[in-house]
Amino acid sequence: MTRRHTLAAVVAVALLGVTAGCTADRDGARVEPPTAAQPSAPPQAAPEESCNARASLRPTGALPAPRKMPAGTHMAEIFKRGRLILGTSQDTLLFSSRNPFTGRIEGFDVDMGRQIAEAIFGDPDKIQIKVIGYDQRVQLAANGTVDLVADTMTVNCERLAEVDFSAVYYEAGQQVLVNKGSTAKGIEDLGGKRVCAVTGSTSLENIAKVGSRPQPVGRAGWADCLVAFQQNEVDAISTDDTILAGLAAQDPYAKVVGPKFTSEPYAMAISKQYPEFTRFVNQVLARNKADGRWKRTYDTWLGDFGTAPAPPRAAYR
Amino acid sequence: MTTLQLDRPGFTRVAQLRHTSPGRLQLMLSALLALGLLTGLLAGVAASSADSGTGDLGGRAQPLLTEAETIYSALADADTTAAQAFLGGGLEPAALTRRYEDDLTRVTTALTSAARRTPAGGESADTVRELATGVTRYAALVAAARANNRQGLPVGSAYLSQASALNREVLQPQADRLLRIAQQEVEDGYSSARSSVWVTFYVLLMAVLFATLLHVQLRLSRTTKRTFNVPLVAATGLLVVLGLISSGVLFAQRAHLDTAEKDGSTPVTLLSKARIFVLRERGDEALALTARGSGGAYEEDFGTVSQRLTGPYGLLEVAAGSIGDDSAEEHVRDAMVAHGRYLNLHRKVRELDDSGQHDAAVKLAVGAEASNAFQGINDGIGAAMDDRMALFTREVGAAGRGLGALTVLGPLLALMICALSWLGLRARLEEYR
Repeated sequence: MTRRHTLAAVVAVALLGVTAGCTADRDGARVEPPTAAQPSAPPQAAPEESCNARASLRPTGALPAPRKMPAGTHMAEIFKRGRLILGTSQDTLLFSSRNPFTGRIEGFDVDMGRQIAEAIFGDPDKIQIKVIGYDQRVQLAANGTVDLVADTMTVNCERLAEVDFSAVYYEAGQQVLVNKGSTAKGIEDLGGKRVCAVTGSTSLENIAKVGSRPQPVGRAGWADCLVAFQQNEVDAISTDDTILAGLAAQDPYAKVVGPKFTSEPYAMAISKQYPEFTRFVNQVLARNKADGRWKRTYDTWLGDFGTAPAPPRAAYR
Repeated sequence: MTTLQLDRPGFTRVAQLRHTSPGRLQLMLSALLALGLLTGLLAGVAASSADSGTGDLGGRAQPLLTEAETIYSALADADTTAAQAFLGGGLEPAALTRRYEDDLTRVTTALTSAARRTPAGGESADTVRELATGVTRYAALVAAARANNRQGLPVGSAYLSQASALNREVLQPQADRLLRIAQQEVEDGYSSARSSVWVTFYVLLMAVLFATLLHVQLRLSRTTKRTFNVPLVAATGLLVVLGLISSGVLFAQRAHLDTAEKDGSTPVTLLSKARIFVLRERGDEALALTARGSGGAYEEDFGTVSQRLTGPYGLLEVAAGSIGDDSAEEHVRDAMVAHGRYLNLHRKVRELDDSGQHDAAVKLAVGAEASNAFQGINDGIGAAMDDRMALFTREVGAAGRGLGALTVLGPLLALMICALSWLGLRARLEEYR
């Protein structure tokens, strides 16, 4: 889980604002006037500060009806195969986790994939879920092993060099989960305490960067952090608010505190071989954000944490 | 220097004995008495060493090996069963819960009796202690997984995977170490049961005693008018009897030990290896399904393991070939047929999972057909192992027969040989008084 600091986004926005001379919207994305079909020029493998990570490929034309995918596109191929292959994890409650009652993997991320399957087949169940490791997400999307990765995956320029991303579908940020009785009001109050995050994630690096010097503790997965928390091996867990919400939902003695101290825009990763598929996904996302489907999905999975915010605005390049 | 000077008069006196007739008789008598006593001592030592070695092999080493195998296979089965119980979703099926609990009971029972059979302070005792502690932690983690699952909390899976990691990465290697120690102890048990060094000395001494007895009698019949010295003839006869009894008992022991090793221990070791491999296949299958598409390593391991199990040089075929008994071999053949059925089903499970039909794959993998095939393999191997263990116990029991008696009888007969030698030579010595 590579996470990028807000700073990176701010710098990116500033640079783009200067070089392109375009207006930047609230999300810091360059907003272009709609144009006709763009050639699918490969995005440049630029250093992270000099790219606009949030800007995706612009949808073209009208959304094709289900089961009527244009010939020669990747969607037509998926239709021929009979199922959409989604890469995700199974340990992030509310986003993608195994339902203990049914044994199925479900959540906000899985529903994002199911909505794409519905747009292709007219049936959200025509989907195969592949559980992939956090460190395999970019690679398996890039080589087309999976059609789509929706897995609390933050867009950043480093990843953009290898895969395409859809428009942003969720805005997350790093917070802290502590015991109900704790007086801590944020990560700053946890100096010297053991704070858990997944090994190899930048959540773990971010913990070490905090001024009050909490002690980072690495575990294999988020649920493993919760196990460590429940067995008093760590004092707190710190990662994206979304993941923490899922952990807190499983432990009535835990609470999430503090402001978001990083910004993590989530988007779906897709192979660069299929720009038409990225455009198609963006079109479906745009429709769902507009017609209330996005809000319904939010209410289903995250409704317990308050009313749905406005969906993240799409930005295109 | 002083000792040599002190010894010299004694040595000279003994040397001088050779020059007189009564002196020579005295020398012969002491040689016979010394050899007789030594033979008696060695008869006792060789027989009791073989006896205790055989007893240790049958009563401690081999049972320890069986228990180590039980611990290993029950741990592997518990891991597989727990993974399968969670695979389907919902509450764990009662049959699988029961099977898991049976496995844990088998592990703890075997650990208790293994603790009795390991010498305190040894590596095996340490391993048993570590296993006992680890199994308690493992059971607690699985219990937490079940409690969370009962509440519908996905964190249950994390508890289960922690338990599984503990089982696969810590407990099973420990059980494997115990198994290796036990295997070594069985091998050592065979050689200490054979007590080859003592038995060789014993046989050599008997030969020397026999030769000396004959030599003394030849000399006596040459120097006196009597052709036969009756007590010495009787002593020779007794020695022949002792030799016949000893070789009868010891040859029988070795023959039974050879059978126990060839038809008992060897097939049991092969079968237990096969059983552990079969369990690993089943575990790999369940874990590959749990991993949902990223279980490549498990599938690879499945392939490696099943390759070692099947084929003309596979473990099952070799185990079947190592059994010299038709009905026991039949059990292994049954297991091989069941294994073939299981492999076919596994192929179908993988086809389903790879084509995106995960639910159907899980259903087939934990379904009755696959469970029956798997049970068939286990039953076949288990029946063959029971049969071979029974043969081992029988043979080792037979190997120990007569050794206890020889421990007493050997020294007793040797003492009688000494007494007869003394009787035979005293009569001659008295002629010089």
